[in-house]
Formats: sequence, C-alpha cells, structure tokens
Amino acid sequence: MTRAVSLVVNGRPYTAETEDRTPLCDVLRHRLRLTGTHVGCEQGVCGACTVLVDGEPVRSCLMLAVQADGCRIETVEGLATEGALAPMQQALMAEHGLQCGFCTPGVLMSLAYAERARLTAEETVSEVLAGHLCRCTGYVGIRRAIERHWKTEEAAG
Amino acid sequence: MSRTDHAGPFIGRSMPRIHDPRLLVGHGRFVDDIDDSGALHAVVLRSPVPHGHIVAVDCAAALACGRALLVLGPDDLELLTDELPTAWRIPGQRARTVAVAARTVRYVGQPVGLVVASSRAEAEGLAELVRIDIEPLPAVLGLDAALAEGAPLLYPEDGTNVVGEIHFGDAPQELERVMASAAHVVERELTIQRVCHSPMEPRGLLAEWIPATRRLTVWSSTQSPHVVRQELATALRLRVDQVRVVAPDIGGSFGGKVTTYADEVMVCLAAVSLGRRVKWIEDRTENLTASYQGRGQRARARLALDGSGRFLALSAHITGDLGAFPIQAGTGPFQVTGLALEGPYRFERAGATVTAVHTNTVPTGAYRGYGMQEAAWIRERLIEEAARETGRDPLELRLLNLIQAEELPYTTRTGLGYDSGDYPAALRRAAALAEERARPSGDSVRRGVAVTPSVEITGFAPSALLEMFQIDWSGWESVRVRVSQDGTVTVFAGVIAIGQGIETTLAQIVADRLGVPIDWVAVELGDTDTAPYSDLTSQASRSLTLAGAALMQAADRMRERMFELAAYHLKAPREEVVLEGAEFRWPAGRTSLAWQEVTSRGWKGWGRSEPGRIRLEETADFDPPAITFSYSAHGAAVSVDLETGEIAVEDYWTVNDSGVLVNPLIAEGQIIGGVAQGLGIALTEEVVHDPVTGHSLTTGFTEYILPASADVPPVTVEHRSTPSAVIPGGFKGLGEGGVIPGPATVANAVAAAVPDIAECLTATPLSPARVWDALSATEAGRA
Ligand code: FES
Ligand code: FES
Repeated sequence: MTRAVSLVVNGRPYTAETEDRTPLCDVLRHRLRLTGTHVGCEQGVCGACTVLVDGEPVRSCLMLAVQADGCRIETVEGLATEGALAPMQQALMAEHGLQCGFCTPGVLMSLAYAERARLTAEETVSEVLAGHLCRCTGYVGIRRAIERHWKTEEAAG
Repeated sequence: MSRTDHAGPFIGRSMPRIHDPRLLVGHGRFVDDIDDSGALHAVVLRSPVPHGHIVAVDCAAALACGRALLVLGPDDLELLTDELPTAWRIPGQRARTVAVAARTVRYVGQPVGLVVASSRAEAEGLAELVRIDIEPLPAVLGLDAALAEGAPLLYPEDGTNVVGEIHFGDAPQELERVMASAAHVVERELTIQRVCHSPMEPRGLLAEWIPATRRLTVWSSTQSPHVVRQELATALRLRVDQVRVVAPDIGGSFGGKVTTYADEVMVCLAAVSLGRRVKWIEDRTENLTASYQGRGQRARARLALDGSGRFLALSAHITGDLGAFPIQAGTGPFQVTGLALEGPYRFERAGATVTAVHTNTVPTGAYRGYGMQEAAWIRERLIEEAARETGRDPLELRLLNLIQAEELPYTTRTGLGYDSGDYPAALRRAAALAEERARPSGDSVRRGVAVTPSVEITGFAPSALLEMFQIDWSGWESVRVRVSQDGTVTVFAGVIAIGQGIETTLAQIVADRLGVPIDWVAVELGDTDTAPYSDLTSQASRSLTLAGAALMQAADRMRERMFELAAYHLKAPREEVVLEGAEFRWPAGRTSLAWQEVTSRGWKGWGRSEPGRIRLEETADFDPPAITFSYSAHGAAVSVDLETGEIAVEDYWTVNDSGVLVNPLIAEGQIIGGVAQGLGIALTEEVVHDPVTGHSLTTGFTEYILPASADVPPVTVEHRSTPSAVIPGGFKGLGEGGVIPGPATVANAVAAAVPDIAECLTATPLSPARVWDALSATEAGRA
C-alpha cells in the first residue's frame, strides 16, 4: 500500500510516494537523497539516525514515514548556513569529536535539540549524549566539544 | 587557488582534520550514501543451524512469483566461484582457502545463498520463501566441547578439531626446568571472550558489472581495497584488471573489514550474472552474529620468580577459538599472543605454545590489538597475582623487571627486536599520575588504582619477515606525489581512511616537506584504479608509520626537483635558492618565481635536466627494515560496588610514546578510542551463544553492550617522543596501543580495590554478575 507523504525538510517542502512500512530514514535517505542521516542499527539503539521532527529528537529508523506526514523535519544537512559550519559543528571539529563521522549527524541533531531546550552542558552529556553510540572516539572529544560550545554560548549570553 | 595563512611547519602540529567539514555537514559518502538509482537489492540466505549438510536449497517458490531476479544457492556458487585464499596459517592447518559455496554449514549465520530483487523489502520477503533443507549434525560450541573426548568433528577427515599448533620462544622442557627450581610460581587460567568489532557502519557493497567493458566496479566498505580486488578476481575467475574496488568513506572497521567475505562474493557474482548494479547493506543483527569476530582465547599460564622477585620464566599454553574455518588472518592473532607475551619485561626464559581449535561458531580474526591485548591480559594479571602472593608492591615488582632504557635495542626470547624508548620512565610517570588520582573507599564502594606498561608492534612488517614465516602478505607501502600544473599537490597512497585521520596527517607531511600551504594538498585514497598497491593498508598500526615514511622520501625528492627547476629558471646556483611563502627566491640575484610558475613550466618540460624525467611526480616504495615498537603505560582508577558487583572506571590516564607525532590531536583521539574499546572488553562486551541451538544471543545493541559515554571517564593522554630509528620521519604507530593494556589495567585496579577477589579475576568481561559471584564468596561481599 503506497501513499503520498508531505514533509517540510530543512525548510523545503517535499512530497514522496511511500509504502506504509517504510521508515522515515529511508525516505530521507533514498527518496530525498539526504544521506547525511545514517542508519547504524535499525533497532532504535545507536542514535545515528536521529533527526528532529517538529523540534523533537526522533530515531528515524523507528518512525514510519507516514507518521511524519505533515511534519517539519530537520536533518544534519540543515545545520550549516551559507556554507559556514554551525558553532556546534566547529566545536566538534576543534575538539576532534569525530573520527569516522558515521555517528556524527545523529549526535549533532540531538545536540541541536539540547541547545534549544536550554539544557546545561552536564544535562546534555548525561541525558542526550547518553543516547548515542560512537565506536571511534570514546566520547571524550564529543564531551569536550559540548563543554567548549556551551561555554562560548554562555559567554555570548 | 588562494594564499592561505596556513604556514608550516606542519609536522607536529595539533590541527583539526581537513576532511571534517564535509562529514559534519552530512556530505560523508559511505557505501549506502552512493546514488543507487537502478540498483537491485540483495538479501543473504544464512544457515539456521550450527552444523549440518545442505540437502537442498529450494528456490522454486521464490522464483515462481516472478519478482525475484536471481536466487543463488550452493549449486550455482560451486559452478561459478572459486575459493578465497588465506594468508596466515599455523603448522598442521589443512585448509588454505575459504569456500564461497557451502555444502556443509558450520555456524549459524554462514552465508549459503543470495536473493536479488528490485528492493530490499521485496528481497527480504522472497528470502522467506526459499527453503533450505539441512540434515543437522551434532555441533561443538566452545573450546571445551571442541576438545572433549569423542567430540563431534567439524572436519572428520582431520580426525580432530585442532587446527594446528606452534611454539614460540624457549622450548617447553627448558621452561619446565626453570619453573621446577624457582622460588615462586604463579599459575592461572586466563580467558578473553569473543567480541564483535561493531563499527557503526556495518559492511556493505554496491557492485556494478558493465557488459560492454566486462569490468566489475565494487564500492565496498572495506579496509583493504587491493586485497578485496585480488580476492574477488580469484573467486569470480576474472582477471585482476577486470576488477576495480573503491573504498569510499568507511564508518569504522577495527579489523572487521580486512578481507572479502563469501556473501560479498555472492553480491558481485549477482551483478556479473545480471549485468546490473546490485547492492547489499548488512544489517546490525547480521553484523553482530555473522560477520567475523575477534578474540576468543584461553591460556594456562605460569610466571616463575626467584627469591628477590626477578622474573625467571613466563610460559603459556594458548588455546584459540578459530570458529568454523580459518579466514585470511586465521590464527594470526593467537600466534601474536604467543610472540608478544613478554611485553616490556626481561625474562630469563619465556615461551608459548599456541593451539587453534575449530568450533561451530563464526570464524575469528583480526581485531584492534591483534593478540597483543590478550598477551597483556595474561602477563599483567600474572604479575599482579605474583605481587600479591609474594607480598610485593606491584609497581616495584614491575620496575624491577622492566627492560631498562640502556638495554635497548633488546631481543625478546620469542625474537622480537625492541628498538628504542624508556619503558620504566613511562611507568613511573603513570604511577605518579596515579598518586594524584587515588580516591578513598566508602562503606559499600571500594576504590583502587593500577598502572600497567605495554609495548606495541607497529609498522607491520618487513616483507622479508613475512617471507620468512611464509605469511602471504607484503609489508611495504607505496606513495605517489604529484605536483600539478597549477601548483596543487596530490598524494596517492595505498593506505586508506577509516576514521583515523590519515588524509590529514599525510597532507601535513607533504605540505611540511614541500613547503606549500596545506590547503593546496589533496589526498587520494581507496580506489584501486589510482591507489598504489597495498596489502595490509591501514591495519596493524602501520598506515602513518609506513605510508608516512614513503611520503617523506617521495616528498623530499620532489622538493629537490622543484628547487632544481627553480634554480634553472632563476639562473641561480641551486644552493642559493630559497623557498618562502610558496615563492622561490634568489636573494643575490634579486629574482623570484612563484611556485605555480615553476610547476607550470615544469610540466611543459622547460628546464628539465633529464629527458626521461619530466612529469612532476615522484613515487617511493618503503619496506620497513624492522618492526618499530611503540610503548605506553596505562592507569585506571575504579570503584567496585560491593552490593551490586558493578565496576565503574572513574579515571583513566596513559603515558604514550609513538615516536614523532605528526598530529598530537589525532594521536590522542586514536589512543582514547582504543581505550574505550579496551573498556568494552574489560566490562561489557561479549558474544554469547545458546549452548544448545548454537544461535547467538547477542543479536542487537541491547544485548551486545558497547561502552556508552557514561562508561568512559575522562582520559588523560601524555606523550613522550623517542623517534623511531628505523622509520624515516621517526614515526611509530599508535592505532592499537590504546586497547592493549586496558582490560588488564582495569582488572588489576579492581584487585587493588578488593584484594579478596583478585584471584577470581581471570576472565573478561568483568560483568556485575561475574564480580558479584566472586564477591559473595568473600568477606568483603558479605560485610
Ligand atoms: S539506526 Fe536508528 S537508532 Fe540506530
Ligand atoms: S566517529 Fe565513528 S562512530 Fe562515532
């Protein structure tokens, strides 16, 4: 059974024909060709597929595309503006918070949520980063990037 | 091309990685990200039983519905494929190849065939219709079952489940003689569990056969494109020049993507048969249950000391669980455990026997740390237990027996030739850091610290050494440097990028040596059409060490040619030309010429000194004259909850010497990443099989537990630098050092926290259940 779903992804409207059982990540990756969102487990555990749906972090491997019909989706492709890395992306780069980079897009989306929800750096690490698996970095660089970014934002008021 | 403020020197600089931005904005290009328009999708058919004969694979129902484009079973595979070669064998081993077509299955998950359809969902549905008729055979799960009297045999023609055996170092009788006369002997049985590499990106490939050119292109998440190319050519009966393998971005590997798997051959065969693009992306359950695994060994080991605490002898019998069949690296990791057993210490005698055994489980092979982590586990647990049993301070005991700086170079009893460094200095420094970090125990929480030294085989290995042991690999690396007409620089290397930042470090080296801004440099890796040949690529802590050494040579030759050309055009004596800010100047003649002007004239052949040497390209092959050894000392501070048995690593620190560091920031990242994987082995990760059905019980990340952020404490990394004497540039490797001493260090810190259970700390992971069992048998646990 296929039906049309309408999504606004990173501010742009899209309509895609999709089957009922197709997860959101597949539509984003293979229909819209926004392949920045990665799929590491399809089991809802690793967090690589995290995107924001109407501002809330969602594992796009668990949500069906039809469930997101009419929603506003944000993916990693929407973070940088006019070719300039967003401050959180810069912080990850400066603190070597990524190695293979496969988990990074999902981590970035969760961090974008934490920032908007005004979580503290500690809360972000213990509640948000806790939901992501990274096999390369040992998380140390990611945590340093979070501290760095939150400190800069605080200083900027 | 713009001028940049990125001025050298670049070697030794902690700079962010040059390719991070595209990964950060979502422009990574992993296999599953490549445009797959028009591709067909494959699903692998796998064995549901641990042991059995395939009677028939019935595809009729799947084919009848008209939606399957192809179904491959053992008959087709036998007709159309040859076996895959192995490289590192053990005396006695009969099998030298890995079959693509399985007639007898020997583990749950072994690939037996393939279904291809227009979508993955469709192929999955069709796979359910294929009936695999198997006559089950009794299976052996685990070493004890495999070695038991009258055990069912995986290969009845062998008459045993033992694959083969080898001995390193002093002869067994000699070891016995020393043991018999020693003042004190500690003996333990020490076990390391089976683990999964668990890269966040599973395996996967997109294969394309173009009938017009009769050429196969395979984009594969692999660590070894050239090896995969050769293996695919062999298995598919193609010429090597008909196969191109491209490794795009790789989402981690850690040793799990170093060879061609039978299922990957099937996907390529499907592409060739159909003349279409065929794609297959492994799912997480397949990755955890059917991709090759690591570790899985047990050792009975003894350490003999004299009355003053000096190490007289170290001996071990290592039994490795090779699984269903030997893969490319096969018993290599078990053999390295034997070879590397002594670590950084002096033993009057040392030796190890290594026995490899077949079981009805997934084959094991390379995993980051490659036998050295297992060796450190055996050795350092024994030393800690010896200190406890003889009432000595563990640090003093270690310092007493460490190889001293002035004893280097030093040859171990098993024949490893350590080159340079100061092992005691690293351990003393780690011990000083430990003092600052010790924290008090509470009523129900005990705390302890431990420090552990280790050495790491890096830059593996001289080709002559591999020849001597008849290991079917080459050890050299090759690099090509091209300076283009517009002055930009491209490095082509055989090593590949797996997240370790090699593109950046190679760019740093070439920018530094040539004296150009780093953003003029591009690094091209991973495509067998353009990359120099490499067997081992980025394994064995070798990519920067060996490709870096080759690049130093190629870049220095290129620099010399550029100066010669510049001198010609400036009409200046060569030795009076200087290069500043990408401009060649002759101060005495007050003339100058931009770097780009020299390169542009160079490509025209103007000013060339030899008619046969015009292109601004230099290639250097580098075969290491010897192995170069990194070393480190790791420290861990742990807490043990006496009520739950839960262990928390509260602090971790390392003192590491990997020679000249090109980029300390990246080096630190490599070490910390390795530490985290070591903590996984120490505390949570373990492949578990149902002993009756042979099915894995760890099929997802909720059962196979990877370290999460809360499991990894802050990690302090201190660097020391003793340049390698055998590697141009002075580099030593560091890809694996982070993982090697970790599990032993954690266990020894637990032993320090709760000495009552020290004797029971003989197997990883130190799960709460295992620790709680040990605790409940002691005073501490009952208190
Ligand atoms: S892919 Fe969705 S959580 Fe892992
Ligand atoms: S950077 Fe590789 S998984 Fe996180």
